[in-house]
Amino acid sequence: MRKDLVFGMAGSGGDGIVSAGDSLLQAAAAEGYHGVMTKSFGSQIRGGESSCRVRISTTPILNPGGNLDVAVALNWEDFLKFGAELPVSGNTVVIYEAATGIPEDQIPLVGVTPLQVIAVPIAAMAKETAGTERAKNTVVLGLIAGWFGIGAVAVMKGIRKKLAKKGEELVDANQRAFDAGRAFAMEHPLKTSMNVAVSDTKGAVKLITDGNDMCAAAAIFAGCQFFGGYPITPSTEIMQFFTDHVWKYGGAVLQAEDEIAGIGAAVGASFAGKKSMTATSGPGMSLKSEMMGLASIAELPLVIVDVQRGGPSTGLPTKTEQSDLFAAAFSAHGDVIRPVLAPTSVADIFRITIEAFNIAEYYQTPVIVLSDQEIASRKETLDPIDTSQFKIINRVQPVGADLQDYKRFKQTENHISPISHPGMLGGTYLASGIEHVESGAPTNSGSVHQRMNDKRTKKFEPLKDRKDLFEVTGNPHAPIGIVAWGSVAGVCREALDMALAEGLNVKLLVPYLLYPVAEGVYNDFFASVQKGLIIDQTHLAQTFKLLRMHIDLPKGVKPLARSGANPFLPSDIVAALHSLLSELQRSHEGNLQPQE
Amino acid sequence: MAIRGIDFTTLSLKDALDLAILVEEEAQERYEEFAAQMDQHRTPDAAKFFRYMVENEAKHGRELSSRRVQLFGDAPRSVSRTMIYDIEAPDYDAARAFMSPRRAMEAALASEVKAHGFFEAALPAIKDAEVHALFAELRDEEVLHQNLVKGELAKLPPDSAVSDEDFVDEPAPQ
Amino acid sequence: MSTTGTLEYTPKDYKSDLKPIWCPGCGDFSVVQGIYRALAAIGRPPHEIAFVSGIGCSSRIPGYTTAYGFNSVHGRALPIAQGIKLANPDLLVLAAGGDGDGFSIGGGHIAHLIRRNMDITYIVMDNQIYGLTKGQLSPTSQKGRVTCTSRFGSLENPVNPLLYVLAYGAGFVAQASPTDLAGMAAVIEEAIRYPGFAFVNIQSPCVTYGEEGQQIKGLKAISESLAGLGHNPADRLAAMDLAQHYGEKMHLGVFYRNPEPPPTYGDLVKERQALLSKDALPKERILDLFIKK
Repeated sequence: MRKDLVFGMAGSGGDGIVSAGDSLLQAAAAEGYHGVMTKSFGSQIRGGESSCRVRISTTPILNPGGNLDVAVALNWEDFLKFGAELPVSGNTVVIYEAATGIPEDQIPLVGVTPLQVIAVPIAAMAKETAGTERAKNTVVLGLIAGWFGIGAVAVMKGIRKKLAKKGEELVDANQRAFDAGRAFAMEHPLKTSMNVAVSDTKGAVKLITDGNDMCAAAAIFAGCQFFGGYPITPSTEIMQFFTDHVWKYGGAVLQAEDEIAGIGAAVGASFAGKKSMTATSGPGMSLKSEMMGLASIAELPLVIVDVQRGGPSTGLPTKTEQSDLFAAAFSAHGDVIRPVLAPTSVADIFRITIEAFNIAEYYQTPVIVLSDQEIASRKETLDPIDTSQFKIINRVQPVGADLQDYKRFKQTENHISPISHPGMLGGTYLASGIEHVESGAPTNSGSVHQRMNDKRTKKFEPLKDRKDLFEVTGNPHAPIGIVAWGSVAGVCREALDMALAEGLNVKLLVPYLLYPVAEGVYNDFFASVQKGLIIDQTHLAQTFKLLRMHIDLPKGVKPLARSGANPFLPSDIVAALHSLLSELQRSHEGNLQPQE
Repeated sequence: MAIRGIDFTTLSLKDALDLAILVEEEAQERYEEFAAQMDQHRTPDAAKFFRYMVENEAKHGRELSSRRVQLFGDAPRSVSRTMIYDIEAPDYDAARAFMSPRRAMEAALASEVKAHGFFEAALPAIKDAEVHALFAELRDEEVLHQNLVKGELAKLPPDSAVSDEDFVDEPAPQ
Repeated sequence: MSTTGTLEYTPKDYKSDLKPIWCPGCGDFSVVQGIYRALAAIGRPPHEIAFVSGIGCSSRIPGYTTAYGFNSVHGRALPIAQGIKLANPDLLVLAAGGDGDGFSIGGGHIAHLIRRNMDITYIVMDNQIYGLTKGQLSPTSQKGRVTCTSRFGSLENPVNPLLYVLAYGAGFVAQASPTDLAGMAAVIEEAIRYPGFAFVNIQSPCVTYGEEGQQIKGLKAISESLAGLGHNPADRLAAMDLAQHYGEKMHLGVFYRNPEPPPTYGDLVKERQALLSKDALPKERILDLFIKK
């Protein structure tokens, strides 16, 4: 019995392979499995290549997995376009459309001999049972139920619910297609059985959602009452969630005329006293940077979600990358510190988004949530989250004595000044992008500018002591250490587990707070480290460079970076750890050589 | 120069006095504003002259106010500042950075002429004898004011061939 | 929120202690007085007013009032004002700035504010020049105008701010002049009272870089009262006809006031919030949305 299976399926948009993935994930959740689903698309709006990856496990899942256990190709041309996103190995069962006419021993996968290759007349079965080839995806679900034991009942239950309104006939057609697929699988058993074990949590309530919806829900939970934004892939679903729900909580959402107006309205709403938010992706980040500077100097709380995609410019709009790190930390001119937080999964984007609002409110600053396309669009099954564990922080407001001769930008011990908002008697002031004295009045004095820059940067010092915004796992004194954040962190967590199981002496640091760089945390982590890797999905090794700006990294610590749409697999990381280990051993041996 | 919602044919003495007080008040405030602008723009001589005008307008305003109190006590006003604009106050665009005292005085003189014109123009419409007398008096006052400013102008040394304004820097870009 | 209905306000209550940076002789000195007067006539306490601007000489104006001010970034007064209005619809929201701020760098925002019809009053101090940066060509500069970026004369036609907003369907459009403070104050007051987006163009001369004909005396010579012309402000087409003469004539008063103001964006938001509030899950249970049964 298998505890964990990774499916990768590809076809053209018309094949409905992504909705099959959805059905599979939901059925798995209904049967109590943990699941993660990611989607990946070509650049066409309709009918281009599309794929999904569904990982199902009896235990909690850290990432979408490495090599596929099961590959489903509705046509090879589309499947191959996904390259490293759908890696086939010698342990993969490959299922493909027989109508492609390619013999099982001639499938176009170079340099790999899969565990088993099965051509299935998927289209023909769909046509025969449902009257249309469009039912191919349902046949595939039937095959999966038959061969891997997932969703025999739950898949059709879900489909029935989804199609109920469209009539019994359609439901019946799907049922026939599903049954045909399942029967085919039963009649052609796999050489090695790959049935998944029954989940321990069968029958428990599971949530299913993706990173964007989770982020938006967290924002509303944190008290966000305004969203201003502009459609941009892959962040748009955040705005959509607000348009569906924020009204219910007395809030509002503005789909603005452009990215600048979107963040501008959010800045305005924050000035008016409401928690507010905007979300965007790479090109939008570039456009919003002037407003981010404004929010920093006017000390207005604001949360900006950047769902990263491949850049620069339009780049790869549908593929994940981590290359907005520099932009998040440094965009907008002038001397600015703007906290940057990064979630690593759908589950923790809830906590990180709440944290972003808390930091924004407490420190009166824009905060960037650096999500990425993978987290944003991947669906995860989750155990219910106890929301009472999260504390909500609101901006400190002037009261009583503060409002006698109120000074909005008053110098205080912790550099944070009580903030009023329109409507508050006694609190009127001028917010401005121009440098200002404590009252808010404009100035061009060098000494005031120096003091105000001090105020606006020193206030963040305590943030660097927030150890709870960092996760260290593995052996705390290990000589080998790796650092990874965002969706790459999930891959590294699994790699770490694998390496520890192999007896490697390693550890992993996952920062949720990327900026300001918490020197102390990294210095502690690297104290025992002789060899290490700073891992990210950027071409320029941005994380490595950002850390090196702030920390004297041990000499043996190097970057491991690659461009987006070239995902890391846990096995890649484990291999890298092995070579670090042998380097380390070699250098120790070298040290043992007698000195001349 | 503008006036709104006032019918001179039915203007009462109380309203006429109040109006005159408001006219002085407006002029006084404008000169105060101008003096502040001159301070702000490092034009001290013009600032000094505008403060002198503030005093003059204030003095005249006080005289009118005490007459108003004698005649009508603290009976409520029925005219307001929103009804008048730029009667005796110089136009906003009369001020200039680095203006010479002469130019400042000329601006003041022009506004006294303007005020004279206002009272003069209003007279034919006024039916009430007391109001007519008051406006005639105010008109003549303006001549006195003009003479006052002319006196100040006469005290200035003759114009040199070069103007101070020719020596100032270009405006600073922001 | 405390709304003080009984207190009387005078223009001075809206004047702050900050000293304007404007050049002596600038039309904006008069505009700010007009705003004080209009606000006093309306009588909202200063702390219930949010006054937003962009960047430019005229955009310094919020700081010269006692309202909550926001002197933001170039061209973005309107998006910020909209966020404020949506966050707190009870506030009186004013936006102001120059012609470059409104019709060049921020020109894309006006159309959208108009189609949303938020209850915001936008005052443009139109001086047909970039003053703060020392006299470059602006979007309302006349064709042929010589400036430091058009030494041989401008090759571009000016934007017509009045036609621009009328064409997009603004419910209230007026023009005022610093030469008539009372008239300007009255028009601003009417604009603020109009329930919906209201636009006031004020031809406010630049004393430092403006041309002679555009100084107050020159403007006086071409000004004409719309009321005096017998213009009916309910007639949008007649308003557009008159607005075509922007640049040659300075028509003062109300060009257009929608006689039947439609609901504002804020009204519609309140309606939607009321309608949907019954569907709200308690916030602590918001994740129940993701439970798949």
